[in-house]
Amino acid sequence: MMTFYFQRLVEIFPFFLKGLWMTVVVAASGLIFGTICGFILGILRSGKNKLVTRMIGVYVAVIRGTPFVVQIFIVFFIFPEWGIQLEALPAAILALSILGTAFICEIVAGGVKAVSTGQWEAAASSGLTRIQQLRLVIIPQAMQTILPPLVGQYVLLIKDSSVVSVIGVVELTRVGWVTVVRIPEGLMVFSLVGFLYFVISYPLIRLSNYLEERMAVQETKL
Amino acid sequence: MIKFDGVHKWYGKLHVLNDISLDVASGEVVVICGPSGSGKSTLIRCINRLEKFQKGELYVDDMPLHDYSTNLTKLRAEIGFVFQQFHLYPHMTALQNVTLAPMHVRKLSRKDAEAVGRQKLVRVGLEDKADAYPTQLSGGQQQRVAIARGLAMSPKIMLFDEPTSALDPEMIGEVLDVMVKLAKEGMTMCVVTHEMGFARQVADRVIFMDDGQLIETGPPVQFFDNPQTKRAAQFISKILTH
Repeated sequence: MMTFYFQRLVEIFPFFLKGLWMTVVVAASGLIFGTICGFILGILRSGKNKLVTRMIGVYVAVIRGTPFVVQIFIVFFIFPEWGIQLEALPAAILALSILGTAFICEIVAGGVKAVSTGQWEAAASSGLTRIQQLRLVIIPQAMQTILPPLVGQYVLLIKDSSVVSVIGVVELTRVGWVTVVRIPEGLMVFSLVGFLYFVISYPLIRLSNYLEERMAVQETKL
Repeated sequence: MIKFDGVHKWYGKLHVLNDISLDVASGEVVVICGPSGSGKSTLIRCINRLEKFQKGELYVDDMPLHDYSTNLTKLRAEIGFVFQQFHLYPHMTALQNVTLAPMHVRKLSRKDAEAVGRQKLVRVGLEDKADAYPTQLSGGQQQRVAIARGLAMSPKIMLFDEPTSALDPEMIGEVLDVMVKLAKEGMTMCVVTHEMGFARQVADRVIFMDDGQLIETGPPVQFFDNPQTKRAAQFISKILTH
């Protein structure tokens, strides 16, 4: 019986690849939007405007303090009541972007704050504008601190993307659900699902570790 | 060139600058000294508006700094600032540190900026360190690169905030030599320092501050040998025995 199911699983493997592709689409889109918005909000959050930092703080606290599945339900089922009607896929990407932004914002703000005020002052004293100070002096230094946890966060977000299966996006986890109905060999099916997540996560984990080690080496040099 | 008129600054209740009036002419070298917490660093940080002040007027290069609509980047491009802790950009080589502002503020091409940058590194005696990163340089060398970074903008004024206080004693000389040369070439300079040798050699005036007030001002010989106020006399005796 096992071998029979295994054969069935091999037969429908392309279905898994489609699911994997959808996971990549959802996760990559969420990561890209989350990174862009996270950097913008993170830089604003590290700034001096109290109102702006507090507002971003509230946003971050709400997102970090509530389950992702609840956030997805709000985007998919409640937003339409406010006139924002989204298909499952855009809703999933939006929800993941909102989640990613909150976490990445905190990583970026931490990295920017870790750069000494002397660097800001030196850059300002030489006549650079605020944007130039950030782009040329602050962000390049902050990236050292930001990069390892940022890549680590990407891994978490890729795994979090499995939650969007609850609104019917046929990504990897959803493929697992659908398959297990036809092939009632849960361990086999979800081992495959898990393995495919691992295949995309593991290189990033290695990258994060590498960046962290490289940073430690640079710190001992200072 | 620099004109303070009744400038006051408070940090909360602390009165860090108390009714400062001071004129610095073009080409003049002014040394500011005083005990720590006397407001001397705050004073020179006001000149390029790293610090705001609440009351009074300050003109730098005819730009009114009490008017908050003054274009700060334009002002700062004309003023070099050298910090106690150097604050070189650690992710850039010495030459990149020196050429950054010429390229992005003055909009020079990389080639032109590097020509200017190398010339300034020659001036501080570090032409062979152009490709070194700050962590590969000694404190004295870092501070000289920081001076070259300021000079690369061809500033009208150079400000020095305790430029030798973070250095090992054997490195102080090399930095002071660069500053002496600069002073003799006619640069307008305001220098917060306790280096009396430097003050005697090139300062036109020494200014003594205490408790945010300008207590005494005079030529270095008079200030060091014959201070007019008791507080200045006490201070001088302390740095002499130090």
